[in-house]
Amino acid sequence: MTTRQDALPPARANSTTAMLVVPCLIGALVALALGIYGKVHHPTGIAINIAGFSSPGSVKSWLATGATVFAIIQVGSALVMYGKIPRVTAPDWIGGLHRWSGRIAFLLAVPVAIHCLYALGFQQYSTRVLVHSLLGCAFFGAFTVKMLILPKRGLPGWVLPVVGAVVFTALVVVWFTSAYWFFSTFGIKR
Amino acid sequence: MRRNTPLITLLTGAALGVILLAASMLATPSGKPASYSAAATAATSAPAPATSVPAPATSAPASAAGSSPASPGPSSPSPAAPSPTTVTTSPVKATYAGRVGGGGGSVAVSIHGSQAIAYVCNGSTVEAWFKGTAVNGVLIMTGKNHSHFSAIYDFGKVTGDVLAHGTDYSFSVPVVSKPSGLYRATAVVRGATIKAGWIVLSDGTQVGSVEPSSTSPAPTAFEAPALDVATGTARDGNIVLHAVAVDGATGSGF
Repeated sequence: MTTRQDALPPARANSTTAMLVVPCLIGALVALALGIYGKVHHPTGIAINIAGFSSPGSVKSWLATGATVFAIIQVGSALVMYGKIPRVTAPDWIGGLHRWSGRIAFLLAVPVAIHCLYALGFQQYSTRVLVHSLLGCAFFGAFTVKMLILPKRGLPGWVLPVVGAVVFTALVVVWFTSAYWFFSTFGIKR
Repeated sequence: MRRNTPLITLLTGAALGVILLAASMLATPSGKPASYSAAATAATSAPAPATSVPAPATSAPASAAGSSPASPGPSSPSPAAPSPTTVTTSPVKATYAGRVGGGGGSVAVSIHGSQAIAYVCNGSTVEAWFKGTAVNGVLIMTGKNHSHFSAIYDFGKVTGDVLAHGTDYSFSVPVVSKPSGLYRATAVVRGATIKAGWIVLSDGTQVGSVEPSSTSPAPTAFEAPALDVATGTARDGNIVLHAVAVDGATGSGF
């Protein structure tokens, strides 16, 4: 069903826009809703947590680090699938690896986000925290966009890599402004 | 079928989020500073751990493992003691002090129950007082002129960052005991109220600043005269400042 999309006729470009507009709007609403909730809800300082760690901060840092590791697998497997790694032909399990690493990364990130939104809220008292708050919300919006456009057929080839790159970049910056900060301030501990 | 899987992923994540949020809400008794891991704040109100919530059995295992044996609360559990799944995770009465990252100043935090007071100071123009809450390991405080203080704490230390005078400091400072800690003095000098603060570190070094008039919108602070911790006084010319310890352990200064 997929035809080559290199030479898009204008009508096709319009339908691309049409296909992207609804997912992007929904993604924007997701990000906005998270941000507004984080801002309006009075942070409680606490939320449910996982045993075996020294503090909520360390739980979140490890979960976020796990998500980031799986996100790196995402990028690696995507590069293989797109044939961007020289002399590596995509094995038939690469699609499964890509899908499952993405699902795991996302499901690891969800509890972290809930803790952030519920216990700490959207904050802006320092650049690190503001960047983290903004991109944390944006990450889930961008991820929603990616999930919504994945099943669509007939999109230009650049769309998924670009959206994927946005999702990955957001996650890495979110990790850098939280877990990396946490580990470099506290030391790497459980 | 295949084409639905991204949507399923998304909905699974959303459902997980809703479940965790609901569990967090259940774990947070409304209107009380109590907490999921309960005893932390209950210990403040001394022998009434009955307020602590039994851990909701359905939600994840009890929180923050620090679950430290050295509970500052009464160590002998009363008959109505919380179930073994509730753990005390946070100190409730302590004072912490140390240098900020980079060494450009010091920070002191006194936690007394669910209340907290903090002071950051570089012994000169940068200084700010903060007041706020300490609930289950998280400190959120505000000060004047958009200064913010947020940190997490455990029995041994407070780690976080503070924004004062447009500068962002990160810190991780240990518990200290008297005479180290936080001191504050207010006095009226020639009709203006001045407010001084000192941070005395565990090695005995101190920094202190004076806000010339705490009522002016943006007072320019200056170095405070040396504080004699034995007498609690600092002398600047013929002005004598009488300092009060802001002490988390005793609640003095709160």
